[in-house]
Amino acid sequence: MRFRDQLELSLSNLWKVKLRTLLTTAGVVVGIGALVSMMSFGTGMQKNVTETFKSLELFNSITVFPEGSGPGGSDPDRIDPHQPRRVPAGTAKAVLDDRALDAISKLRGVETVYPDVNFPALVRFNGREEFRLVQVLPAKIAGSRMIKLRAGKPYLSDDADEIIVNDYLLRRLDVKDPASAIGKRIEIASVSFDLGRLNPMDFSSIFQGGKLPVSKETYEFRIVGVSENMGFGPGSVWNELMIPPGAARKIKKLPFTSIWDIFRLQEGAIGYSALNVRLSSPGEVDAVKARIKEMGFSTFALADQFAQVRQAFFFLDMILAAVGMIAIFVAALGIVNTMVMSILERTREIGIMKAVGAGDGDVRSVFVFESSIIGFAGGLLGYGLGWIVSRVINRVVNYFLARQSLPAIDYFAFPWWLFAGALAFAVAVSLAAGIYPAHRAALVDPVKALRHD
Amino acid sequence: MRNAVAEPIPQGPSAAVEVRGLAKIYRLGRVDVPALRDVSFRVEPGSFTAVTGVSGSGKSTLLNLVGGLDTASAGSITVMGKDLALMSRDGLARYRRSGVGMIFQSFNLLSSRTALENVEFPLLFAGVPKAERRERAASLLDQVGLAGRSRHRPIELSGGEQQRVAIARALVNRPPLVLADEPTGNLDSRTAREIVGLLAELNRSRELTILMVTHETALAREFAHAVIRLHDGRVESEEKLR
Ligand SMILES: Nc1ncnc2c1ncn2[C@@H]1O[C@H](COP(=O)(O)OP(=O)(O)O)[C@@H](O)[C@H]1O
Ligand SMILES: [Mg+2]
Repeated sequence: MRFRDQLELSLSNLWKVKLRTLLTTAGVVVGIGALVSMMSFGTGMQKNVTETFKSLELFNSITVFPEGSGPGGSDPDRIDPHQPRRVPAGTAKAVLDDRALDAISKLRGVETVYPDVNFPALVRFNGREEFRLVQVLPAKIAGSRMIKLRAGKPYLSDDADEIIVNDYLLRRLDVKDPASAIGKRIEIASVSFDLGRLNPMDFSSIFQGGKLPVSKETYEFRIVGVSENMGFGPGSVWNELMIPPGAARKIKKLPFTSIWDIFRLQEGAIGYSALNVRLSSPGEVDAVKARIKEMGFSTFALADQFAQVRQAFFFLDMILAAVGMIAIFVAALGIVNTMVMSILERTREIGIMKAVGAGDGDVRSVFVFESSIIGFAGGLLGYGLGWIVSRVINRVVNYFLARQSLPAIDYFAFPWWLFAGALAFAVAVSLAAGIYPAHRAALVDPVKALRHD
Repeated sequence: MRNAVAEPIPQGPSAAVEVRGLAKIYRLGRVDVPALRDVSFRVEPGSFTAVTGVSGSGKSTLLNLVGGLDTASAGSITVMGKDLALMSRDGLARYRRSGVGMIFQSFNLLSSRTALENVEFPLLFAGVPKAERRERAASLLDQVGLAGRSRHRPIELSGGEQQRVAIARALVNRPPLVLADEPTGNLDSRTAREIVGLLAELNRSRELTILMVTHETALAREFAHAVIRLHDGRVESEEKLR
């Protein structure tokens, strides 16, 4: 039998029972639609994360912590905060100070090193006040791809009294249009601890009312840029206010955010709580990490975490695919059912086919073609359904995100292989579902099938 | 068990159909139903042979075996020198496709297809291209007198017309042998005579060998060259008419 004739014969057979064909195909459409939207969600999430990592240059970043703190070190939460940690005498701990910064910046493959410095401050703008962490960020970093600007431009000098504000904070401050904030003055009131009045051994007294050992000073900055809100990232770039280091030096505040820094200060070993290291390429991560570890610091590189992230996404994909598979399985049963019914009804037709010279293979292929056509149509329409459903979900989710002042994200991805895979899978499953009925059709006894009455 | 007919079967290399010691036993649960027992006969090439017998005498069983739709329990069937028992399932399908054409009492046309499409149908399995299929089917419909009916579906045709479509379909693969199982069973006597007359004419004009089961002894005597009478699964008598 010629391919074309086979196709035409199967199509005309399916057309004869339009409603049943439609319903059976609908089963495949729903199954493939579910699978496609699930897979496209998994792929979309993975793509979002990977691209964000790449655009934020997180693959070529390392965060350096003093030994014994930070991720990978001993867990600081498990130490009683009322009991200051004492470094045993004689143990020379490597301090994350400017000397360390200098040494690290001289390592091969290191592009920039800047300390992770945050300080709490009261932000006054537009007649409102918010309590926020201000991050000190070198102009070089502020101008890099790590910071995406909604409006304005980054500060160009490390000494400018200029500030980059995040759009989420602006919205909190009741500013609708980010561009309108550019050039405006914003007040930062630093809340600095008065070290002279701090007794770490009697830490609780600070919070029990009385006089707090803090003083406030107000500084004015000019808003030059509005940055996009980043959903996640390492400690370095998620702050809502960024000022250059030169300007920060004029502010009366402490160069630390962690309470442990205070105790370290007590021990006379003042240092940064963390350093952010940017490398010239992701390939340098391992070598630089090793050198930094030799210096006695601990490191954290998101590139390491990414292998695990990838694995997590693989499992997410598998789970999503498994859910989609259930729908496909049900659809396949629908095909088997339809084809078996059809064979019972068409016994006489099969008898005629055989009487006029159709072989077992001809009969089989007519039925396999029919189920494959259902699969092909179901795969095409199912992909379309999956696409539409994903678009709708994406719109709805982003609508609610927008109301929460969060940026729009495309949660679904439709790479070409998803289309090809969905179609091939639909046809393969339907073909498999058609094999048993086709086999039964081939075994029909023509004498019985053609006996009149 | 020997052949019930006393005279020896005429021997010769050129028989169109040669049946020897043919038996068919249907198994119904634990009961064996012998439909044919030791049937032997010869059909000469280009002859028109009628098979008669009461209902249940095994006529349809015999035709289905000769037509390659079923397999014998014992004995042999040779058509144009080829032993059907030696054929594989696919070999039998090929034989049904081009070695033999079958006509049934109930026509067995595909109800959703037009007369032309019904006649074309066997050519699908022979892999004949569409244009040639159309042409051959149309020409055959013309020959059976249905040129104007090619676009009609079976339900729009009379019994006689449907049987003509079935005859055209049986001929479309140009088989040397046509088997007809009570082709006039569902037709009135006038139409029946026309149909048997058409078969007789095709037998003459195309040198077609025809084996036709019928109840109508008068028609058989009028048109056939020989009559084989079956009774209880055996050949009761064999008569040469012309
Ligand atoms: N598939 C079958 N199963 C069991 N018995 C059958 C079957 N087909 C025919 N028979 C029996 O075989 C005998 C011959 O049947 P058949 O060839 O149809 O006779 P005819 O065509 O001469 O009326 C009958 O007794 C019938 O009941
Ligand atoms: Mg019969």
